[in-house]
Amino acid sequence: MAAPASSDSDCGRTESEANSKWLDAHYDPMANIHTFSACLALADLHGDGEYKLVVGDLGPGGRQPRLKVLKGPTVLTESSLPTLPAAAATFLMEQHEPRTPALALASGPCVYVYKNLRPYFKFSLPQLPPNPLEQDLWNQAKEDQIDPLTLKEMLEGIREKADVPLSVQSLRFLQLELGEMEEFVNQHKSKAIKRQTVITTMTTLKKNLADEDAMSCLVLGTENKELLVLDPEAFTILSKMSLPSVPVFLEISGQFDVEFRLAAACRDGNIYILRRDSKRPKYCIELSAQPVGLVRVHKVLVVGSTQDSLHGFTYKGKKLWTVQMPAAILTMNLLEQCSRGLQAVMAALANGEIRIYRDKALLNVIRTPDVVTSLCFGRYGREDNTLIMTTKGGGLIIKILKRTAVFVEGGGEAGPPPAQSTKLNVPRKTRLYVDQTLREREAGTAMHRTFQTDLYLLRLRTARAYVQALESSLSPVSATAREPLKLHAVVQGLGPTFKLTLHLQNTSMARPILGLLVCFLYNEALYALPRASFKVPLLVPGLSYPLETFVESLSDKGISDIIKVLVLREGQAAPLLSAHINMPVSEGLAAA
Amino acid sequence: RTEHPASLDSEQGRVKKTPEFPILEKQNWLIHLHYVRKDYEACKAVIKEQLQETQGLCEYAIYVQALIFRLEGHIQESLELFQTCAILSPQSADNLKQVARSLFLLGKHKAAVEVYNEAAKLNQKDWEIWHNLGVCYIYLKQFNKAQEQLHNALQLSRHDLTYIMLGKIHLLEGDLDKAIEIYKKAVEFSPENTELLTTLGLLYLQLGVYQKAFEHLGNALTYDPTNYKAILAAGSMMQTHGDFDVALTKYRVVACAVPESPPLWNNIGMCFFGKKKYVAAISCLKRANYLAPFNWKILYNLGLVHLTMQQYASAFHFLSAAINFQPKMGELYMLLAVALTNLEDVENAKRAYAEAVLLDKCNPLVNLNYAVLLYNQGEKRGALAQYQEMEKKVNLVKHSSSLEFDSEMVEMAQKLGAALQVGEALVWTKPVKDSKSKHRTCSTSKLAVFQQPLGSNQALGQAMSSAAAYRKLTTGAGGTSQLTKPPSLPLEPEPTVTASSADTTLATEASEQIREK
Repeated sequence: MAAPASSDSDCGRTESEANSKWLDAHYDPMANIHTFSACLALADLHGDGEYKLVVGDLGPGGRQPRLKVLKGPTVLTESSLPTLPAAAATFLMEQHEPRTPALALASGPCVYVYKNLRPYFKFSLPQLPPNPLEQDLWNQAKEDQIDPLTLKEMLEGIREKADVPLSVQSLRFLQLELGEMEEFVNQHKSKAIKRQTVITTMTTLKKNLADEDAMSCLVLGTENKELLVLDPEAFTILSKMSLPSVPVFLEISGQFDVEFRLAAACRDGNIYILRRDSKRPKYCIELSAQPVGLVRVHKVLVVGSTQDSLHGFTYKGKKLWTVQMPAAILTMNLLEQCSRGLQAVMAALANGEIRIYRDKALLNVIRTPDVVTSLCFGRYGREDNTLIMTTKGGGLIIKILKRTAVFVEGGGEAGPPPAQSTKLNVPRKTRLYVDQTLREREAGTAMHRTFQTDLYLLRLRTARAYVQALESSLSPVSATAREPLKLHAVVQGLGPTFKLTLHLQNTSMARPILGLLVCFLYNEALYALPRASFKVPLLVPGLSYPLETFVESLSDKGISDIIKVLVLREGQAAPLLSAHINMPVSEGLAAA
Repeated sequence: RTEHPASLDSEQGRVKKTPEFPILEKQNWLIHLHYVRKDYEACKAVIKEQLQETQGLCEYAIYVQALIFRLEGHIQESLELFQTCAILSPQSADNLKQVARSLFLLGKHKAAVEVYNEAAKLNQKDWEIWHNLGVCYIYLKQFNKAQEQLHNALQLSRHDLTYIMLGKIHLLEGDLDKAIEIYKKAVEFSPENTELLTTLGLLYLQLGVYQKAFEHLGNALTYDPTNYKAILAAGSMMQTHGDFDVALTKYRVVACAVPESPPLWNNIGMCFFGKKKYVAAISCLKRANYLAPFNWKILYNLGLVHLTMQQYASAFHFLSAAINFQPKMGELYMLLAVALTNLEDVENAKRAYAEAVLLDKCNPLVNLNYAVLLYNQGEKRGALAQYQEMEKKVNLVKHSSSLEFDSEMVEMAQKLGAALQVGEALVWTKPVKDSKSKHRTCSTSKLAVFQQPLGSNQALGQAMSSAAAYRKLTTGAGGTSQLTKPPSLPLEPEPTVTASSADTTLATEASEQIREK
């Protein structure tokens, strides 16, 4: 609770700071760009020194995947994509001039490579080897050596035990009803069974030189828990590594031919770290929550988790620090201000803030009009330090970092929490209270005694009244072993005629009660009842019996009286229970 | 989960000879991204689409749908979906883990254990399975098994959560030392976890190792300056040291975050009491009492403050209410006796003292006050007996702890010793310092008049709804009394596992009377 309050009070301060650090270059809430940070890339695609923004746009609701290239605030080109883009990257494919970077777009099982914004190459992930047993079965089916039922049983068996999962064809076959099997087999038996996986994430890795304009390999993470490194020129698979889970975010440093370290945040909530020689992960960081973003700052891996916190880890998996965020993290990216040698992490939060951290220290907070879902920082157009953000509603925000801006630590909260300076809300006491206190001091003993006496008398009277009630069956509840009864009465009407309803209930567990009488005692000058007493029917245990009678008020002077209801056993004078009914004043005039 | 198998199939049959099957995992990455961003609406939309396209074969989509159901509180539905996942890929330990987790959340711990065991067969190396097994066993009250499983988990991979659970088991078993051991290891492993630091600090506080307690609580506060538990505990320690102003500033933070916390207002009240701002103290304590009317500690403090304010009648009510909730504490009876003495009800005061002496094992003050009362009543013999009893306790305390005696108490004891002519017997070796806890002596020696009891004993007992425990106490006349302020209570929601059924005769009596009411 304190956290949002503090950020609110901070916001005034940081807002002015933000204004001094960032220039608002462009804001278009209707840009219609719906994407993730992984699908944003900045590159000098034409080699003219003018950096463009590449967006793999999912379209509204993820229905119209498009590739968009923006120059400044305007869309330069736009082309539709066959499937949703999972990641976009720009990289140098070859050594010779002009060194214009190529654009790679991962989508489904393919990587589409564009050069000069023209389709250049399509790389498809190789088919996965099918389960040999499954293959055998289908081959047999093809030659009609096996009937669909046996096929089904055998396939079930494979599904239960095998390490290699079944193909879609077999899985779909297993779902079918008996009647549909034959047809399905006939339709599909001639087809080779296929297993195809898809790309989940993609990034680049320098091939053999660390220079800014050196060739890079594409590194792909796939749905079948593998990492592939592609050769930039021939698009052959240079290296294959396997992971225990499906990779979601990748972060690589080093060069492929020399040495590299690769961190892969996976769907099981772990981050696996691999080196050049390792085919299997070398270290594992267990987050105990899902990672939302992974950014490398110098030698520190910064991970955002679904528990609204940023963690810093070394490449060996040692936890360095944790920072709690005021809201859920939506996306993260690296901020690199080359001129000042600054590297920091930007995290977009669900409360519409962008927070910039260098290690644990908060450097800057940017507030945006809409929740930011993707961001990237770098050279755009001819401006070195540009922050590009897209929002949940499809908006595009471009901000430019002022050339004079220097990030200093302490831009956020420091020192004691602001709540410490607010005054305690101590309830005030009145003058009366003080007077009473003084009185008690003077006459405490007397007060105590009077209180005790009165309390004692109260107790005594209560006890007496209780005993009396018990003795004379005045209570509306009878607890005798033979006739446990409960009575309550309701008076309805405005007068002069009232309706009196008695609810009589037998509270015994099993025994019905027979032979009871109800009798009314009242002032005959004031009230008239059709019958002063009547018999009660047999009372079944548990049920509430409404017994109704009319009461006519005879007085026109606005007087009311008590009517006593007695429940008696036939042949006994003492009532079992009784009730006093306070009759309301008649509001109507007595008839005649 | 087969949405439209027939229609789609026939359609495929008609349109193409050999239709391509969609890749099942095509949009898993998108589902996952939406899920980790907590954009559940978008996530559900993608899931629905993918399930329709794959005719319910996409395991990951079902899996995430189940996770979302669980987050939304539809645990039964999530369980069913996870079971579907387990059917789709029976070799996956993760699916079984999730099935077990849902069972666990439904409170079916035994079933969860079974499923976890099955999952463990598929994946021996998963700490989470062992950890959760341990947690299930805790709920099944099989602590030995739980410990075993949690240690297994720790061997595979160390996690704060496992340490916390292990510590909890030890606390549930009442083994503070072992719990501290575990938490120490945990803090070593994860030095910035404020929850661990706070818990360890509180445990040290319970054991009375104040230096270490303060160290850990302080650490917790450096990492999280708004930690409610740590602030309260650290504040209460400051209070025992008399740093009321510092404690009050710390409490402001809590007052902002948790304005309706009874322990907080109790502690603030006692801070004001320490600063001699009695009206503010009463205000705060009354608020605390309003927020937690059944907390005897607050009532105790209220009684104490009212005694200090010489509002004996009010003090009597608060103290007797406190005794109703906590009938086994000697000091409470002593305070009640002091109130009664000042209300000139010596007979009842004596009875209260008798109870107090019976219950109290180590506070010499109880005996001293009793002795003073008896002496003032002219019962020298009884006074002498109490005085000797007090000497015994003083010697005991001297040997066992380093606590210093209050100067006023020592002075009073010496005076009384002189009056009873046994003064030299007791040596107050400890240097006497300025009292940390406030003591108050009310005017010594009042006349021993016959004060007619207000109604018989029985009557008084019955009459006082709140004072039901004192049926046996009556009659009055004044005496000397001294009170200690209790260290303003740490009052942490600590797992006090000791509801010992050891009861003195009085305890049973008192509870009976409560029932009578």
